[in-house]
This record gives sequence, structure tokens and C-alpha cells, in this order.
Amino acid sequence: MKMITRLSLANMKYHKSKNILIGIAVFLTALLLFLVPTIGKNMIDGQFAVINEVYPRWHALYRGVDEETAAKLAAHHAFGMTGLRSDAGYMVHGEAEIALVFLDEPGLELYNITLASGKLPEQENEIVVSEGILRELGQSGETGDMISVPYQIYRNGGLDYREEREFVISGFLADGEEASETRAYTALVSKAFLEEEIPKDQRGYRFLFQLRDLEAATTDRLEEQILSVAEQFGLGEQNISVNNDYLSANYVDPAFAAGIVIIMLIIVAAGIITIYSIYYVSMGDRVQEYGRLKAIGATRRQIKQLVLREGFAVAGIAIPLGLLVGTVLSRMLFVGFIIGGSEDNLMLELLKEGRFASWYWWIYVLTAVVALGTVYISLRKPMRLAAKISEIEAIRYRNESAGKKKHRKGVRNVTISSLTGIYLAGDKKKSLMTICSMAATGIFLIVTATVLSCTTPRESADSSMYGQYVIMPLIEYNNKEHPEREWSSIQQNNPMTEELRKEIGQIDGVEYVISFSRINSFVEELGGSEGILGVPVECREELLKEITKGSVTYEELCTGNKVIADTDLLYWYPEIELGDRFHITLEDGDETKELEVEIAAFGDYSFGFTNYNYLLMAKEAVDSLGSHNLTYSYHIFAKEDYNEDVAGKLKELVTASELLQFATWQEEYEMWKSALGLTNGCCYAFLGVLGTICIMNMINTMINSVHVRKKEIGVLQAIGMSDRQLTKMLQLEGLFYTMGTLALSIGVGSLLSYPVFLLAKKNGMFGIRNYHYPTEAVVVLCVVLLVIQMVLAWLLGKSVKKEALIERIRFSE
Amino acid sequence: MSIIAEIKDLVKYYQMGETVVKAVDHTSLSIERGKFTAIVGRSGSGKSTLLHLLGGLDRPDSGQVLLEGKNIYELKEEALAQLRRKKIGFIFQDFNLIPSLNVWENIVLPIGLDGRKVDEAEILHILERIGLLEKREAMPNTLSGGQKQRVAIARALAAAPAMILADEPTGNLDSQTELEVMSLLKNCVKEFGQTLVMITHDETIAQMADVVIMVEDGKVVKQL
Repeated sequence: MKMITRLSLANMKYHKSKNILIGIAVFLTALLLFLVPTIGKNMIDGQFAVINEVYPRWHALYRGVDEETAAKLAAHHAFGMTGLRSDAGYMVHGEAEIALVFLDEPGLELYNITLASGKLPEQENEIVVSEGILRELGQSGETGDMISVPYQIYRNGGLDYREEREFVISGFLADGEEASETRAYTALVSKAFLEEEIPKDQRGYRFLFQLRDLEAATTDRLEEQILSVAEQFGLGEQNISVNNDYLSANYVDPAFAAGIVIIMLIIVAAGIITIYSIYYVSMGDRVQEYGRLKAIGATRRQIKQLVLREGFAVAGIAIPLGLLVGTVLSRMLFVGFIIGGSEDNLMLELLKEGRFASWYWWIYVLTAVVALGTVYISLRKPMRLAAKISEIEAIRYRNESAGKKKHRKGVRNVTISSLTGIYLAGDKKKSLMTICSMAATGIFLIVTATVLSCTTPRESADSSMYGQYVIMPLIEYNNKEHPEREWSSIQQNNPMTEELRKEIGQIDGVEYVISFSRINSFVEELGGSEGILGVPVECREELLKEITKGSVTYEELCTGNKVIADTDLLYWYPEIELGDRFHITLEDGDETKELEVEIAAFGDYSFGFTNYNYLLMAKEAVDSLGSHNLTYSYHIFAKEDYNEDVAGKLKELVTASELLQFATWQEEYEMWKSALGLTNGCCYAFLGVLGTICIMNMINTMINSVHVRKKEIGVLQAIGMSDRQLTKMLQLEGLFYTMGTLALSIGVGSLLSYPVFLLAKKNGMFGIRNYHYPTEAVVVLCVVLLVIQMVLAWLLGKSVKKEALIERIRFSE
Repeated sequence: MSIIAEIKDLVKYYQMGETVVKAVDHTSLSIERGKFTAIVGRSGSGKSTLLHLLGGLDRPDSGQVLLEGKNIYELKEEALAQLRRKKIGFIFQDFNLIPSLNVWENIVLPIGLDGRKVDEAEILHILERIGLLEKREAMPNTLSGGQKQRVAIARALAAAPAMILADEPTGNLDSQTELEVMSLLKNCVKEFGQTLVMITHDETIAQMADVVIMVEDGKVVKQL
């Protein structure tokens, strides 16, 4: 076998140009195979590191836990690190909110808080404050100094009378930007203070914890565990708060992982198609070589090994090179990605501090194994073909027998074009192979480009935002801290008043304001809650225009017993049909009402229009269903996309109430622009490299066709073909591959792109609403292919001329 | 007597490893129009190089090749290629037919490259003359050696060149076929009024020639 290895190495050097091409294809394949998971993993780890840095680290907390239960919980086997928190009360001070909180040391760590200086309070008169708190109190001091603090303690279910006492500063906390802005601070007090101030039976703790064995679990399973322990200790669901932000950072979204696997499979497919095609196209050229070896006694197995080892020798150089370049490039791309992706570069900072890894040993192994596997799969057929070659046939084999035809009708006049046509038709399989393998990437490119071209930031912003500005109540469900943010509470004292609407309308630059209503409902048939959106009469046309199935008039929607269902609802409940009747329990403030509605039509609406409410009625009907103010959103249409004055004035109106929130079209637009710019850039870069892998194919086919016909071209030149004619012939051949590839890519790609667009639209991907043909991408694809092909033909023509004509005529295999 | 081509003090040396091969060494000769000239010599005597230089396939180190009074090596590559297809017809020892073209296409190829329209009657006449009229749509791989060489002859004749250069055209043929091909070639040249310069080391063939030039070590040693 030593001889076979030596021979394959010699072969690798002898067929240098071909192996360089295969090497480039393997290199690019390995590079992409490395980059995709590395950058993907970087993004997950980076996000995790940022969350670790910023968010509290407890997985969940139990509220209202007494001291005994807390001690028992701390000993539970399910928990890793545990900590305690208890809110003692507030400092009394004008508008600033300064909470007095007890946190034990693990609790401090679980909250991701570190003291700027000093230590946690131990004595009842010790306190940790911040510069901001001292400023608010109008006092100053260093660690060890005394300050006077007026405060109210939680006792008997509320804040008790004001007290005041002297505290010794035991340490300092740093003030966050947000704390200074909102004037909400936290001061830490000791357990001794807590015990002194609050009677034992009134002392409630928040038990903070991290679960063990987080790595293997999904968030769903973790939540199950959190619930089950709570149940064991008789803690109700309302006493549990899960730190979803932190948990989801630990939990790899299966869709993300699946996406990466799919991308890697596409790369492997492109690699296999290209490498296999390069071998296939070159095989004719090497039949004799293998035949001769067989004639002098090489076995089938040895021939197979010869092909395999030559391929692996090339891969042995190309894969490490791909990994090396990938190592450098992944870091560059990731850093570029972070800098391009966010304004504050906390992730970059953490990366520089080495808080998360840039590279992972297992991705190196994975890439090497998958890339070698790709080469192996590509080589299987050539190996079999080489082993099957019969000795006699191979030795007799001359490339002129490539065509098996005995007769051909032919053309009367031979021109350069007909000569090209005849040559290409002579080996249809090879021509088709090259075109199809290149078109595979082309089709993928067109389809992807279509999706990308449908994602214009303007349309995406239009889709996620109806109007230039939107004002809505700040609604939150199940937030025990803020029960006033429940929609049922808000509607009873709704800040979305007619006066507000009028005020908005009077702002210079605002054209008109449209208001939507909403009522919460529990739909028996769906077993869940859905918001019913009241669409005002101004939007009547838009409402009816988007109906995709069934029919209904606006007047019928005013009756209150007919609804339009958004087609997105079908995604969750595919069994819903036209004419279905829903039994609904309406949430009217604190009361409930029963209602029966019929699904009269289905419509396809943008999220900006529905605000994620999937049942639509006339506003008049929704308003009449409730007894409170159900105004849910003001969509403000202005003369300009964005105007600082208008936005400023609206913001002023909104900040007057704590229960209002404000969004601008411009923000959405900027968000989409940055997100889509990044996505587009990454996708096109990926497609570019993928395209390059496949272009190797065309390069190989053309180089091969010239190499095999070296003598033939020499003869053609001897009998009078000029250099210009030769270049033209090579150009035409290349043009054939280019045109074939383009026709197939654009034809099939365009046909496929429409259903893919519909799918993307249906799934609400990037807020896609309208179909845009990717003209620019198509033009770029055409120009790039044409230029590459022309340059290639020109280079080939030049390389042919390097060897003396007479040498080429003498050339023989 | 009119001279169609003239070689004046032609030199072509090759570097082969460390030795210099003097393939054509200060050689001069003339080719008469309408005559059959045979260049004979031993293997390695430089006769093929001489023929290639005469046909503009290679470039000399010095000296001139005049075709109809013009020095062909003063021409640029493009013009030289044009000259080859208009004025010179080549016949090679190993036929050098284009495998993807059928018999007819191989024959009309030089005319096509020259951008001229094919005179079908003329080609049919040539095909008839070489006895391959029936085989005009056949692919080269279905032809015998003799047939292939006859196609090569037809290709050389088709463009009606000023001079046909043949490099041992019967070298790959058996003796029976060799005779057939030779007599065909000679007759055709006569019939179509062309000049034939042929390399051979075969005495019998050389005897059929009007003029015999003997080459040795890159020099013309005798002209008969």
C-alpha cells in the first residue's frame, strides 16, 4: 500500500491544476462548515455572557416564604445556589423611590450585584447606600460615617408610619444609569434591622435559587421542576417568578440549531456536487492512466485506494487551511457583526475579557470530519468508475472515441459557433452535469434573494407599525408587582381618553388619528384567551380588502356577533373553519359576559394593524360589548415619516401617564434597517462563498475541455484558426455554461421563489408583505458569471498560447 | 519555372537539456509552383522542423521564409493564422482530424475558419475523388487509417491553398493503403493544380516526386 500512497501523491502533483481546483472547493466547503456553527455558537454564548453580566442570575424565586420554609428550601436537592431577599420598606423622600431591602450574600450574587466598596450591613444600624441616595437625601458621607434616614416599614399589610434613625454606612453600591434617570434606588439593610423592625409572623422572604443540572434541560423542563418544588412546599403559582431572560440564555433554541444544521447540509451538498462533478469531468482524461495501472497488475481495491488517497491528500491540505482561515475570519466576522449589530458593545467587551470562547475545539473536529466525509462521498462514484475500467479498453481509449455516434448529420458550413455547438453537444452529459451543479446554487441564490428582496425595511416597518406613531396603554398580565397594568384594570381608568386624542390631533404635523378598541375574551373552543380588536370605520376598506376567505360587510361586523379571524390564528388552530361559532367569555373590567360569535371571514392582516389580536370586529361593536373605555391604540398619521417636534410633543403627552407607551415608525424602520442590513449582508456573503464553490465547477470544466483538446486546438490552429477565433470559441463554450446555468437558475429559481415568498409571508418572516422580484441580485448574478466566464476564457486562451503550436500538435496522452 | 516558396538562410536551434540541437542550420532552398517536392532525410535530420517553418507553424531563430515573395514571419500571429488557412494545407502523419466533427465538417473546416461560404459542388467533387462520398456524415472514429488520411487530404485540398505540406502522410498506414493514398494525393495535386511538399523517409515515395531535397543535420545536402 505504500506504493499506492506514493503513487497517489505523485498523481496529486501531476494533476496539479485539477487538484488545486478541488482543493479550493474543499477549502471553501471547510471554511463555511467552520464559520456557520462557530459564529452561531459565538452569538449564543455572547448573548449568554451579556445576560449573565446584566441580568440577575437566579433561575426563579418563590415569594412570601417564611424563615422555616426558606431554611428547608435551601436544603432541597434540586437547588444549587440559593439566596434570600426581603423588602423592608421605603425611605421617605419626595419623588425618589429608595427601597430598603435585605439581601444575604448569595442573594447579592444571584442579583448580580457587587458592592462598589465596603461590606454588607450586619448590625441593625448598618446600611449600604449609593452616591445617588446620599444626593437625594441631601447628605454626604463615606464608609463608617453616620447618616440620618427617614423611612416607612412594611407592617400589617402596608407601609407603616414614618420613622427616622441614624445609620452607619457599611458600604456603597454603584448607581446604574437607569437608577439615576428614574430616581429609583435600592439601599441594603441588615437581617438584624429586618428582625427588629418587622414581627416574625409578618416577615416574608423571596427565596432566590438556581437549579442544578441546567445544561441538559430545556426551559420547559426547568419550569416544571420549579413548579413541582413549589407544590411540595405548598407555594401557589402566584408566588413563583421565573427568570425567563436568564433561562432562555441557557436554552438553545432548537429552531436556531436546526437552522445551522440545514445551512451546513446545504454547504455539504454544494461541496459534494462540486467535488464529484470535478472528478466526473476529469475522469475521461484519466481513464488511460488507471487502465495502464490495471494492465500492470493493480487490483480494483488498489485503484479505488489510489483515487481515495489522492482526494484525501488534497483534503489534508485544504481542510486545515480552511480551518486556519476560518479561525481568523470567524473572529473578524463576529466582531464586525457585534459592532454592526449593537450600539453598546458589551458583548465585544466581554469577548475581549475572554468571558466566552471565540473558538470551540469540537467545531474544529466536526468541520474536519464533515469536510472529509464530503470528500469521501464525492469520491465514491469516481472510485467505482476508476475501478471498473477495463485494461484493454483503457489502453485503447483515446479521447476521440468520447462520442459513441457513428454518423451525424452535421452542418454544411462550419463556423466558430457551430464548432462550439458540435463540441458541446458531443458530450451532453458533461455539459449538463456542469450546468445542473452550478444551477443548484443559482436556484438557491435566487430563492434566497427573493426572500431578501421582499424584506425592505420600509415595508417591514409599515407591516409592524400602522401609522407614524402609536400610543398604547402599557399592558402587562400576571405581573404581581403591577396589577394596575392588567387590561381589565386599565380600561376602568383608561388614560386613552377622547381629550388625549384631541390633543394629539391638534399637534402641528399630525394629519389624523385613528383609534382601535380591544376587549379580552376567553374562547371556549380554543381553550385560550384572544383579544377582539375593534376596527374603526376609517379602516373599513383596509379591513375588507384583506379578506382572503368568506365575506362580510362592515355593517355585519357592527352587530357584535360576527368576526373576521386573522389567518395567523390558523397557524395555532388549523381546525378552525368558516362559519364556526365561538362561545366567548368577555372580560368587562372585573365582570364577565357571555357572547357567541360566528367566524364570517378570514383575513390576512399585518401585525401593525392587528397588534397581535386575531379576532376582528367593528370598533362600534367592541365598544358596545364593554362598559368601560376600551380604547386600545391611537395610530397617528403624520405628514412626515418622522419629525422630532411631533415626536417630542407626543412623548410629553405620554409621559404624563405611567400607563402609556409610545412607539414611532422611525424606530421600527431603523430597527428593521439594521437587522435586515445585517441579515442581507450575512446571507449574501454566505451565498457568495457557496457560489464560489460551484464556480470551481465551471473553471474545472473549461480548463479540462481545453486540456483534453490541447492537440485538437493545436490542429485547429495549424489549419488556420486565429487566436481571436480560439478565444471566441472558448468564450462561446463558457457562454453556453453561463447561459445554461442562468436560464436554469433564473427560470426554476423564479418559479420556486413565489411559493417561498408566500410561505415567508404566511409565517410573518421579517414582516414580509409584498412580493418583489430580486432584479438586482439577478443582474449581479448574470454580470458576475459572465465576467468570470469571459476572464476565464481569456486566461485559458492565453495559457494555450504559452505552449508552442507545434508542441501541442505532437501532444499525446 | 516559378518559385512559390523560398527559404533563405533559415536557422532553428532547440535547447535539449544541456545540448543545443541544430534542427535547421543556415539552410536555403526554393519550392517550385505546381511541383511535387519530397524532403527526405533520416530521423532527427530536421526535415519536420523545416516543413513546420515552411508552413508557419513554428518561428525561426533567424532567416526568412518567403511565400509568394512575402516573408511570412514578418506577419503577426493573427495574420499568420489567416495565411495558414488561405495559402497552406497541412496533412499530418497521424491525420489529426477533429473527433467531434464528421467527415464533411472536417473537410470544410478551413473554409469555415476563413469565413467563406462552402462551394458544396466542389466539396462533393473532392469527396467523390477520394472515394468517401458515402461516408460524408461518418464520424472519424468509424474510419480506417487510410480513410482518415484521405479525409485529411480532402481537408488540405478543400481550401484550395497555394501549397500543401505533408508530414509523412503515409507513415501510419500499411503498404497497400500507403500506395493508394500516395497515388490519390499525387493525382489530386495534379488535378487541382497545387504544389505539394512532402516529408518522407521512404525511397519509393521519394521517387514519385518531381524534386527531392535531402536534409542532414539541419542542412540541405543535395537537391535532385
